[in-house]
Amino acid sequence: MNDRSRAAEDLRVIRTLMERATTYRAISAPTALVGGALSILSAAAIQLCAAPDGLLGRAIRPREFACIWLGVLMLTAIANIFFVWREARNSGRPFISSGMKLALRAIAPTLIVPALFTIWFLKIGYLGAVELELVIIWVVFYGLALLATALFAPRSLALLGWAFLLTGLSVPVLANAMEGLPGDILSTVMGVSFGLYHLIYAVCIWSRKREAGGEELVVE
Amino acid sequence: MDFEKLDKIIHEKWRLAIMALLASRRSWPFQELKAELKMSDGNLISHMRTLHRLGLVSVKKEIRGRPQTSYALTAKGRAAFRDHIRVLEQIVKEWKKK
Repeated sequence: MNDRSRAAEDLRVIRTLMERATTYRAISAPTALVGGALSILSAAAIQLCAAPDGLLGRAIRPREFACIWLGVLMLTAIANIFFVWREARNSGRPFISSGMKLALRAIAPTLIVPALFTIWFLKIGYLGAVELELVIIWVVFYGLALLATALFAPRSLALLGWAFLLTGLSVPVLANAMEGLPGDILSTVMGVSFGLYHLIYAVCIWSRKREAGGEELVVE
Repeated sequence: MDFEKLDKIIHEKWRLAIMALLASRRSWPFQELKAELKMSDGNLISHMRTLHRLGLVSVKKEIRGRPQTSYALTAKGRAAFRDHIRVLEQIVKEWKKK
């Protein structure tokens, strides 16, 4: 190897190491898959139960709706903890890495509004027929949370954030148009955003991972 | 411009990788650095001692439940790393001109 090739190779290794060290993916492919699948199943279950000849034979009540989705959030969070722990164990990294701390610090402020709104909704807000607002807040602020990590996240995560943000913002505009469609709008929005978007994201990451599988960084 | 102009201490493959990682963040805990580079404890400690002795790296030891050692580039280390990159870029550029 001549001087030029060695210098170019050294620069490539340095760039790759620095890029890898400053990138943190807050949502892994397995987490997105679990979250996406649970969301689609929940949205479908709500639609089926709420149908006139469905299991319940009545519409899902506002607090039931919120509790179902909080359940989905909890199960996905537990799955995420497991996947992060497994990844940390396999790679010898600490469970709470610098990247995770950075991501949590970036995301935390964007969670305050949806958390407070959800608490208010569960206490008295459910009486005021504000389910649509609840869904919009969840979708918009989830998008903002993902975008808050954009400085150190891979591009795919920022795109996912934009998809959520734009979907959330377009719901009030589209709400009237969607009223004529079968099924309830709330489950449709939740199923499409938290379900479908996450599944697309998981598939994209997995396929890209497989493509990059053979390209290992070699320091030697 | 050739490899003779490069700092031999930094240009060793592992030390260069260590410097690259340290330049990417404010500080690195030992365990994360080790996992990122897939190095053994002894190997990493030996390189860190060399870099520390030359004043390129600072060491911080603290107790957070258990003892934790973290490393960071000093101002001298950051400047040396920057100079090193500049020389590497110069070598590539000069070759392209030819």
